[in-house]
Amino acid sequence: MRRLVLLLLFAALALAQTPTGEPPPDLSPEVFRIASELRCPVCQGESAAESNAGVSQEMRRQIAEMLKEGKSEEAIKQYFVERYGEWILYAPPRRGINWLLWLAPLIGLLVIGYGLWRYLKVAQAREAELALSEEELKALERRLEEE
Amino acid sequence: MTPGLLGNVALVLGFVFTALGLLLSLFAWWAKDARYVEAAKRAAWLSFLAALAAFFALEWALLTDDFSIAYTAKNHSTKSPTWVKFATLWAALEGSILLWATFQALYTVLAARKLKDYWMAPAVLGTLLGIELFFFGVMLFVANPFAPVPHPPSEGPGPNPLLQNHWMMAVHPVLMYLGFVGISVPFAYAVAAMLARRYQSWVAETRWWTLVAFGFLTAAIFAGGWWSYEVLGWGGYWAWDPVENASFIPWLLLAAFLHTALVQERRGMFKTWNFAYITLAYAATVFGTFLTRSGVIQSVHAFVEGAVGPVFLGFLLAVLLVGFSLLSRVASEVRDVGGLNLVSREGLLLGASLVFATMAFVVVLGTLFPLIVEAATGDKVSVGSPFFDAVFAPLGAVLLLLMGAGPLFPWGGIDAYAARALSLMASALALATAVALLFGAGFGVALGVGLFAYNLTALLAQAGRGVSAWRKKGRGALAAVLAYLTRARRQVGAQLVHFGVALAALAIVFSQAYRVDAQKTLEIGEQARIGGLEVRLLDLRAKDEGFRFAVIADVEVEGVGVMHPRLHYYPTMNSPLAAPSVHYGLYNDDYLILQAFDTEEGRWATIRLVRTPLVLWLWIAGGIILFGILYIVFPGFSWGRKRAAEVAA
Repeated sequence: MRRLVLLLLFAALALAQTPTGEPPPDLSPEVFRIASELRCPVCQGESAAESNAGVSQEMRRQIAEMLKEGKSEEAIKQYFVERYGEWILYAPPRRGINWLLWLAPLIGLLVIGYGLWRYLKVAQAREAELALSEEELKALERRLEEE
Repeated sequence: MTPGLLGNVALVLGFVFTALGLLLSLFAWWAKDARYVEAAKRAAWLSFLAALAAFFALEWALLTDDFSIAYTAKNHSTKSPTWVKFATLWAALEGSILLWATFQALYTVLAARKLKDYWMAPAVLGTLLGIELFFFGVMLFVANPFAPVPHPPSEGPGPNPLLQNHWMMAVHPVLMYLGFVGISVPFAYAVAAMLARRYQSWVAETRWWTLVAFGFLTAAIFAGGWWSYEVLGWGGYWAWDPVENASFIPWLLLAAFLHTALVQERRGMFKTWNFAYITLAYAATVFGTFLTRSGVIQSVHAFVEGAVGPVFLGFLLAVLLVGFSLLSRVASEVRDVGGLNLVSREGLLLGASLVFATMAFVVVLGTLFPLIVEAATGDKVSVGSPFFDAVFAPLGAVLLLLMGAGPLFPWGGIDAYAARALSLMASALALATAVALLFGAGFGVALGVGLFAYNLTALLAQAGRGVSAWRKKGRGALAAVLAYLTRARRQVGAQLVHFGVALAALAIVFSQAYRVDAQKTLEIGEQARIGGLEVRLLDLRAKDEGFRFAVIADVEVEGVGVMHPRLHYYPTMNSPLAAPSVHYGLYNDDYLILQAFDTEEGRWATIRLVRTPLVLWLWIAGGIILFGILYIVFPGFSWGRKRAAEVAA
């Protein structure tokens, strides 16, 4: 009975499921690691390792195949860059305008740090300006005692 | 009376009362007459009641399946379980804004109760009511949750299946909005302080509110991470998705603010910086909403898009304009005085806030970078986790170094105890890193272990210092520990938070570095090794659950038992949603996903196994951080003012 329900349901779902006669390929951890650095081309901000869209499954299959052929990680990424453009890489290559991004932490530290340093310098200068010298202090103490 | 009518009447009344309250606050400000403040408080109460009425009207419509309202017709289904019906209120745009407005009204009323300073009160109340008015206005004129449908359907599609796949849908958004709205209170105080030229005391007065907002945001971020771990079916908890980033930016800026605020409280410095940080933190909450709702940026969270994008952009600009035009006056008037020794408590607090602010800058730039590049050169680029992970690792390491040392230092310099503790901590760091390297860990992981040992040592040193101070006052050992734990709530709470952060960092390092993710197809009855574990597929079965169909695989995993990953088929979706099965463990989490199955004969299934070390400790760390914040916040409102009085004296 349960078998029947299962089969009926499968029949109903066959339409919804992406049509695959064969089971998806076996994938090694290496495949997912590489896929996680590539964008799923049809998704809303998911990587090819996360997404289960047809394209992503196909990408993972391709990565597995290329690894089997002995291709390096770089070569595999290059293959996808040639097909989709650099947009497919989740870490933009370090060149041109992208340096702005990669140096962002440094820029942030330097700019904000410089602002803080300027602030401190000014505050310190004011303190020095307002500070009283020994003689002034003594003079004030004397006046207090007199009064 | 229908829900639609009640809702619309409540919205109009809410708008009118809020506008009235705002006018009264303005009048109180100009006339310098406190009686108008009292009247404005009453108006704030009325607008809160109106917001509540609108909230209940929408719940009424959802729980009684009233499809005459467009919101229910689009987002609701009679087949959903009751809790999903209830949570559908914030499953789409209009309802989310209603929830936000209700919380805004609630915070306004709560903040109004505590307003005693008649110089600042009109401006605080006026700012909060101004924000509230914006939300009522959006609901009335742009995204009305009670807009009618001409021909009510008899059934709707229900909320997005991704949302109703997990009970977190009822929790995470609520926490997030409580956090977002919470920041409006310190922001309003800051605006009032700038207007009333009372630049010093607002920081201590709003500390409680800031921590509450920070606590809710932290809880929301951890809850969201856990939710995505349980639901999204890829075994991760944080993807640096633009909307995740949008919730992280205010958190980072609030963290930066909390640390420099301590310096202002103690030494009266960084007044302009604190105004800037809190303005940016509040603006960041609006910025996040703009990002999610406008569709400018692609994201898994972009469940809804609509006309509110430009409206929120306008609001964002208004917040920044108000904040920074006032700030320019503050900058020209405030003359902070004082030298600051960088090797001191305040020096390290400053360092922490510098790193937090830099992190916020990196997240903002990284999130917007694709837009910037496309505008500048026309090229398309993507910025995602490989970039953020690479950049956050060194920043995080610096933060962990500062975090351990900071609380040990006395104000103004370093003393013998701190110096001794530091050398101990440095040894712990070196030793633990070396041991981890010997065990074959990579440099990053080894450093992570070392930094954890460093922070653990720091925690013990801090506790030791606190306890020995009480012993010197003549307490016994146990009494001294108790006195330390109960008298120095702020310190102890902060240390708990810091320990939680160190633990979270350790969990993140391990779970990122040693995660194994593998996939294999098994026939029923077949056993194989996936990702180093023996796995056997026992059976594959189907189940009709009313509002969805489920296909369930029974999988026996070595050392774990039988697990049940599922695929869910919702009538509104043309592809199935994976519902992973997670086995939590102290050392490793085992995470199974039913990736695909034989749709013709049901003979095989493709199983993906994700084995991640120490993830469980990330959730525990979240709990510790929250407990630490609660430990500080719990005694209540009043010590904010007491503390301010102490500092002033």
